[in-house]
Amino acid sequence: MTVSTKVDVIDAVLGLDSSSPVHALRERRAKLKHFTQTSYEAAFTPSDPGNFSFAMRAALAARMAGLWRSAELQAHYKELLEERGSTPGLQAIADPGVVPEGDERLATILAHVDLVTLKPREATRANIEALYAVGLDDRDIVTLAGLIAFVNYQVLVVAGVKMLRDN
Amino acid sequence: MSEAVHEFTLEPLDWQPYVRPVKLDEATTEQLEALKVTPSNTKVSNYVLVLANEAEMLAERTPLFNDIMYSEGGLSRGGREIGALAASFVNRCIYCASVHANRYIQLEKRPEVVDEIYRRGLDADLPDFEQALFNFGADLTAHPDNVGVYQFYHLREIGLDDLEILDLIHSIAIFGWANRLMHTLGEPHLKA
Repeated sequence: MTVSTKVDVIDAVLGLDSSSPVHALRERRAKLKHFTQTSYEAAFTPSDPGNFSFAMRAALAARMAGLWRSAELQAHYKELLEERGSTPGLQAIADPGVVPEGDERLATILAHVDLVTLKPREATRANIEALYAVGLDDRDIVTLAGLIAFVNYQVLVVAGVKMLRDN
Repeated sequence: MSEAVHEFTLEPLDWQPYVRPVKLDEATTEQLEALKVTPSNTKVSNYVLVLANEAEMLAERTPLFNDIMYSEGGLSRGGREIGALAASFVNRCIYCASVHANRYIQLEKRPEVVDEIYRRGLDADLPDFEQALFNFGADLTAHPDNVGVYQFYHLREIGLDDLEILDLIHSIAIFGWANRLMHTLGEPHLKA
């Protein structure tokens, strides 16, 4: 395994090693740093992945990081996807510019991912009903919402910590 | 059933889910652990019961949220609420905004700050300290791919140190998370 899910992902993608003042700063909030990392593990290597495979989770995360042009996280999730066994279908999911055709379930999931990532304010009950209509169950919907919410949190933390690192 | 609320308000709200909450009497051991249900604490909100559909993530999220909002030292509790409010205004999470606006008032006893945000939204004209926090929060939430360096320096100008800035970043980011759950998985209604 090249991408360890045990190494702190945010330190890793921002190149914060133990000599970095921002590394030391993050350590002052060791508890939230720890739970940020365990939240990542719960999102990407859960003990029971249900209907979202490990590879699918990495592909969706790469897509979201790409939507926000978060180059560091996009590279991380693309690498994670490769490691978990990428396919042309998963590559398409990971590419924020692609809307795969002919698969209504997948298209509805990706439309939801794109909307809630970029314009959560526009989400309505109809979006959740659309997910039920293509066959997602309660748990699938909460899993998907959790993945979207976590990756967006991570994008914001990375963007903010990067400002501290560079300014 | 009361009507759903689609405009920002400071009235007490109930959150009603679009997704079925886990039923406590049918919950698995893992779900009960994530819900922190104990014999003396059986009151669990619908929101948390919805999230318990994915117990493994919920079990990490709860302590993360609490540490971000309530840890000792660093940015004031009120300052963190401003971060939460800025995110919730950009993302239009009416329920989150109402809860954290009321909490800010409770903590800081300065309802005029919240009144101005509720009157003018993202154009709110606030005292310098709150303005800097609010603007950075709105900016980071709306476009994390292009955060204004000006907004960042404004935080330094009002005297925030690095730990306080880190706390602010997390309070904004955790509402990037919370808003995307609360605003998309259900909607607020006026409390009956």
